[in-house]
Amino acid sequence: MRLVVDLNRCQGYAQCAFLGPDVFRLHGEESLLYDPVVGAEKRDQVLAAAAACPVGAILVDGPGVREVDAVVG
Amino acid sequence: MTAPETMMRRIADPAARPDPYPLYEELRRTPVARQDDGVYTVSTYWEIRSLLNDPRVSSQTRPPLVPTPSGARSMLRLDPAEHDRVRRIVTRPFGPPHTPRRVFEMRRGMADTVRGLLDAFADKDQADIVDDFAYPFPISVICRLFGVPVEDEPRFHLWTESLLGAADFGAEHKPDPHLLDPDAAKIEMGGYLAELFDKHRKDPGDDMFSALAVDDGPDGRLTPPEQVATGFLLLIAGHETTVNLITNGVLTLLRHPQELKRLKDDPDLAVPMIEELLRYEPPVQYLPNRRTMDAVEVAGTVIPKDTDVNLMLAAGNRDPRRFPDADRFVPDRGDVEHLGFGNGVHYCFGAPLARLETRIALTEFARRVKGPELVADPPPYRVNPVLRGPRHLPVAYRGVRS
Repeated sequence: MRLVVDLNRCQGYAQCAFLGPDVFRLHGEESLLYDPVVGAEKRDQVLAAAAACPVGAILVDGPGVREVDAVVG
Repeated sequence: MTAPETMMRRIADPAARPDPYPLYEELRRTPVARQDDGVYTVSTYWEIRSLLNDPRVSSQTRPPLVPTPSGARSMLRLDPAEHDRVRRIVTRPFGPPHTPRRVFEMRRGMADTVRGLLDAFADKDQADIVDDFAYPFPISVICRLFGVPVEDEPRFHLWTESLLGAADFGAEHKPDPHLLDPDAAKIEMGGYLAELFDKHRKDPGDDMFSALAVDDGPDGRLTPPEQVATGFLLLIAGHETTVNLITNGVLTLLRHPQELKRLKDDPDLAVPMIEELLRYEPPVQYLPNRRTMDAVEVAGTVIPKDTDVNLMLAAGNRDPRRFPDADRFVPDRGDVEHLGFGNGVHYCFGAPLARLETRIALTEFARRVKGPELVADPPPYRVNPVLRGPRHLPVAYRGVRS
């Protein structure tokens, strides 16, 4: 599955790095690193992170993703 | 119709506890309203969100509703930059960037605890979701995480209840005769926490309170009074909020049986459902701890300098200008940027923990408990209008799947 984090929206709440630590990592206090393409085994982490983001900055596309989350074309 | 001036008192009235939402709807008609005691309420989504991110609104200057058991303040009652220093230190043993996997790796332990609690449902045909499930679960999680002996739980439960029970929300209610005098509770709990941190200082484990007692990061260490204030905040927050989120979740699912069935068939639904739950029935209904440091104009109204402001999160979460069909529980609504965990620098510290706990609790409840039904609707509620939730939630069922 593919994901994009809108880094203009990201405010550093770090919910993604808590709930998807194999996909999202904080470097220092504020800068976020993430894998833009992840395997099915990390799907749960990606979906949990996207749902938890307080500013809706994580966009996800892939098989089985609920229509409302599939924003990436 | 009653004027908005008396709204906070009507919301605090225990009779309003089962369903405060019509009052919030009334409140939203005046998004920024001055109450008769001079407190301003802000009840619409964008206005609340903007004030949560406004540096002119302080969390530090308003006298606290709940007395704290040490000379120091917790981060809940600090403004930047002091707040940011304390929050960084407390985050260090809890989450990223320093400890990114700690919460995530607690999932297995959480699942074991939930399994044990639901196994015990098998011996009977009715359970109290609060006492038998939603309360013991987060308690066991935070005891492990913080390094608090689980056998001390009844003591700090009594202290936190006594301190919260003493908070004056402006409505009359009978004091609970089982509770302690708040000053006594404060002294006992402060002494207990100071001793606990002392013990961890001498013999640190791999828990969070030990880390706070001995570790030095780039920001140094909390002073002993700051440690006590932090321990107090985390214990209350870990005690009084997740229990309500889980209980509100079970209650909401039992009021929407078709959604309970969907969750049973599709456990992935829990992830968006919990966000919707935080919008629809937030465990923290409003923030009674803000005060302006300057005149602040919001929605065409000027809130004067040095004015107490109540940010009505639960009202903003049902603001129809923000959420279509705001009074409906829609577990997979795509756009659910709720205020349930707040926003801005004071965003709920334990949010990731609460999300994981509630996900596991609700999916396992839906999967395992057969034919659950509410015994009473509405259930009896606790008195506190801020940390709102049922006191008990009796549920009848026809067995438990393994």
